[in-house]
Amino acid sequence: MSLFEPTDEHRQLREMVRAFAEREVEPQAAAHDRSESFNLDLFRQLGELGLLGITCGEQYGGSGMDAVAACIAHEELAAADPGFTLAYLAHSMLFVNNLYQNGDEDQRQRYLPKACRGEAIGGMCISEPGAGTDVLGMTTTARREGDHYVLNGAKMWITNGAISDTELGDVFLVYARMEGAARNELSMFIVEKGFEGFKLGQKIEDKLGMRASPTAELVFADCVVPAANRVGEEGSATLHMMRNLEIERLTLASMSLGIARRCVEIMNDYARERRSFGQPLNRYGQIQRHIAESYAQYMAGRAYAYAVAGRMKLDAPGQRLDTDGVKLFCSTMGKEVADRAIQVLGGYGYVGEYRVERLWRDAKLLEIGGGTVEAHQKNMTRDLSRLDRLR
Amino acid sequence: MKILVPVKRVADPDNANKVKVSDDGTKVTSDGLEWKMNPFDEWSLEAALRLTEDVSKKGMKGDDGKPLDRIGEVVLVSIGPKDAVQTIRQGLAMGAERGILVEAEDSSLDSHVVAQVLAAVAQKENPDIVFLGKQSADGDSNVAGTKLAEMLGWPLVNYATSIRTEPGSDTLTVTRALDGGVQTIEVKMPCVLTSTDRILHPESVKNGVTPEDHKYPESEGGRYASLKGIMAAKKKPLEETTLEALGVTPKRTEEYVKFALPPAREGKATVVESVDELVEKLHSEAKVL
Ligand SMILES: Cc1cc2nc3c(=O)[nH]c(=O)nc-3n(C[C@H](O)[C@H](O)[C@H](O)COP(=O)(O)OP(=O)(O)OC[C@H]3O[C@@H](n4cnc5c(N)ncnc54)[C@H](O)[C@@H]3O)c2cc1C
Repeated sequence: MSLFEPTDEHRQLREMVRAFAEREVEPQAAAHDRSESFNLDLFRQLGELGLLGITCGEQYGGSGMDAVAACIAHEELAAADPGFTLAYLAHSMLFVNNLYQNGDEDQRQRYLPKACRGEAIGGMCISEPGAGTDVLGMTTTARREGDHYVLNGAKMWITNGAISDTELGDVFLVYARMEGAARNELSMFIVEKGFEGFKLGQKIEDKLGMRASPTAELVFADCVVPAANRVGEEGSATLHMMRNLEIERLTLASMSLGIARRCVEIMNDYARERRSFGQPLNRYGQIQRHIAESYAQYMAGRAYAYAVAGRMKLDAPGQRLDTDGVKLFCSTMGKEVADRAIQVLGGYGYVGEYRVERLWRDAKLLEIGGGTVEAHQKNMTRDLSRLDRLR
Repeated sequence: MKILVPVKRVADPDNANKVKVSDDGTKVTSDGLEWKMNPFDEWSLEAALRLTEDVSKKGMKGDDGKPLDRIGEVVLVSIGPKDAVQTIRQGLAMGAERGILVEAEDSSLDSHVVAQVLAAVAQKENPDIVFLGKQSADGDSNVAGTKLAEMLGWPLVNYATSIRTEPGSDTLTVTRALDGGVQTIEVKMPCVLTSTDRILHPESVKNGVTPEDHKYPESEGGRYASLKGIMAAKKKPLEETTLEALGVTPKRTEEYVKFALPPAREGKATVVESVDELVEKLHSEAKVL
């Protein structure tokens, strides 16, 4: 057993997801990228395999696995289709894992089994039209009125916010501030499609990459949310948000690993077969540099990510610095490896058929979503400034 | 119904082009390749699982915690080194109930010895069916099933494309694809079967319990192990035994003398102007028409 597969179950998980990704996910990737559409049927198959609730307890229909398992699933799926995998991440990590860790018994019973089966598609809403990196600058508000809350505001860039051009996703964890509450006191609510005042603002079209994952703006206009759907206490959600962002960053970084692995495989294969001036491309030093550096950087990112995943506890914060570090390193690494793959393939790399063009477009998002690289740099430096020595 | 399914690990057949012949030509090396379950065995395992399940009770459990969707037993057997346990675990994760590893060096086996071992296991286990892959993706010999049936004195149907039975019946209705049409055979159990990929078709297996109109998903292989299946497989019984313990004295009938790669293909491409010209060339030059 290795760092990447600490137990036999992890090894079997990787084998299973890889086989599924190669047989079922890869063949549909290009078409859904082109048509900017979400593959709901394929998504539901992830439910049958137990992947939608990978870190959720078995009593709620999940598989009860750990952070390493979550990394494996995201890495293997992203090697075939990062866009599809982003929708998987928003559902399984941002919604299911978040609610499993932070919800009460009644909320878990009501929402998790359906989400684990893929009957309900979930997502999470932090970002707003006017506030991204400045998370606490969000302006969506909540006020209590009797047995319910009233939400007002808009959320932007919400993955799984729509499952088609006109149809909302099913259920969301929405962060908002109680009217008049302090800047760092956020609250979280479960909002379902069909709640009064909850509307699809727009499905966001024409993304550079991740086109197989639907992204939407969601609008809350006097949206009525039952009090039983408040997760945790009023003002207590900032902490669970920070905790859940750790697994989000780690699994986003794992997607970059999947992209990088695929790109290394493709450029390695191509450079062996393609000849120029009478020799295979991989005999030339400049090409060797592309291949060897890509592989080494991929392995370095992989070792960092799995080392952090191995010590991560899903029910406790504590890996902020290193989950930022993993995503900072892996996201840019994935993009650069994809870029080198295009370079090694020359003109063939620039068109869809050889896949690296799509992976390159998808790789870019990981420098932005779930925290920009600048945000990781800012947060890491703040955390590091409190340390004198590194252990 | 009890079905014995032999499973072999083979070097990843999707990367068969990376299989090399050792410098001295005495063996085929598969260094650096991943081990996979022989895909032909996977087809037969899938069919065996379909024969022994009730899809209408999928995921349901009885008061004793036993799954209600399993109405028979699938026993996996693999002959090989300790590592072959991983292949058995994969089959258990897909849904089989238990596994048997017969420890042996890969190099000490040929189809005859494999058939001897399987016959010994079958005599001990008394299954209704031994369901093999028609061949293995590495050796491609295509004889173990036939030898096994001969040794056991059981009826044999090779290359099954569909199977139908009823609960409590001792007969299977099996079809095979022949050049000129479809052959339908009634076979009494216990028997030996092998399959083709058509056995994976959505409606190829009917056991009289799973609703008649149920369609399995289109697939190129067996079902995927779910995470539940992977977790459950940890707790399923896996027995390890040896040739001696089974009372088998291996009698090899094949010796491999030498391996060599086929000569590199030669050929040239000619662009023809019309279909007529193509037909003419296929006739006069290629002499294939
Ligand atoms: C495809 C996609 C899917 C997404 N899915 C979700 C989702 O499901 N849920 C969700 O809540 N959000 C989601 N997001 C939003 C994403 O998390 C934000 O886009 C991201 O946090 C950046 O915020 P912003 O776009 O508002 O950029 P800004 O915060 O406005 O940043 C603009 C630029 O300024 C830089 N910058 C900002 N502040 C500083 C600073 N203090 N110091 C230095 N540089 C700074 C940034 O790094 C960036 O380069 C998604 C985004 C995309 C594109």
